Amino acid sequence: MNRTTSARLPATLNDLFLFAMMLTMAAVLTTAMVFQYYGGEIPCPLCLLQRVAMFGICYGVILHFRHGYSARNDGLSMLFALFLLIVSARQTLLDIYPRPGHSYIGNAVLGLHMPVWSVVIAVAVLLAFAIKLAVLGGEHLRNREPSPALGRVAGLLCLYVVAICLINLVSVMLQCGAGACHTSEYRLLSDS
Amino acid sequence: MMLAVFATLSLALLAEYCGQRWLAVSSMLVCLALSIGLFLFEIYSPDYGFHMPWLQVLLDPPPHVSPRGDHS
Repeated sequence: MNRTTSARLPATLNDLFLFAMMLTMAAVLTTAMVFQYYGGEIPCPLCLLQRVAMFGICYGVILHFRHGYSARNDGLSMLFALFLLIVSARQTLLDIYPRPGHSYIGNAVLGLHMPVWSVVIAVAVLLAFAIKLAVLGGEHLRNREPSPALGRVAGLLCLYVVAICLINLVSVMLQCGAGACHTSEYRLLSDS
Repeated sequence: MMLAVFATLSLALLAEYCGQRWLAVSSMLVCLALSIGLFLFEIYSPDYGFHMPWLQVLLDPPPHVSPRGDHS
């Protein structure tokens, strides 16, 4: 392996890693939206904050594909992953013993409810970033553009993430209006 | 407030897509600050504060161990 190829490999692996990360987040967010719009499960405030955290993780990745590698981008994604972990852990603790009138609503996926899945996802994201930084480091990743093919696909995925974020904005507007969110109805669509 | 969170989040993503990097980063940091504030607001209870008393358990008193080592 010559010097150029050996220097290119970590950058390619980093691009693939971040692309897979954004693809996973987009898939999770899309699944949550399918449950919401097709299954009729209106998200609770903490569920919406978990979505914000997942969009934040995607934001760090989008910065990478638009401006190149920076440890700041990874740090931003990890910050939102930590926020996701805190919110989902708290919601899981709230749901361990359902209080009267606050019992958890929503279907389980493979036996786990959404906040528990969020804990798993947040830990997996933090672990993946830690392993990536330990293995690839950061010094070989600077000033290297992603391959044109991967760059184009990543650009489309970035656009998809922006689109589902805008859909969520409209949905939150309908559900919460300018006030507090309730899981019983879409406030702006109700008759009262 | 949730609307403000998603509005700043959407603004950040759109600004980034349009090349307004500093507007995007600023919006994202505002979004994070609003999210943290909203999270603290949501989990605060007038009765319990930030505690979750339904998760607390009472510990059994430790068993008494005599000097010869047998439990009483």
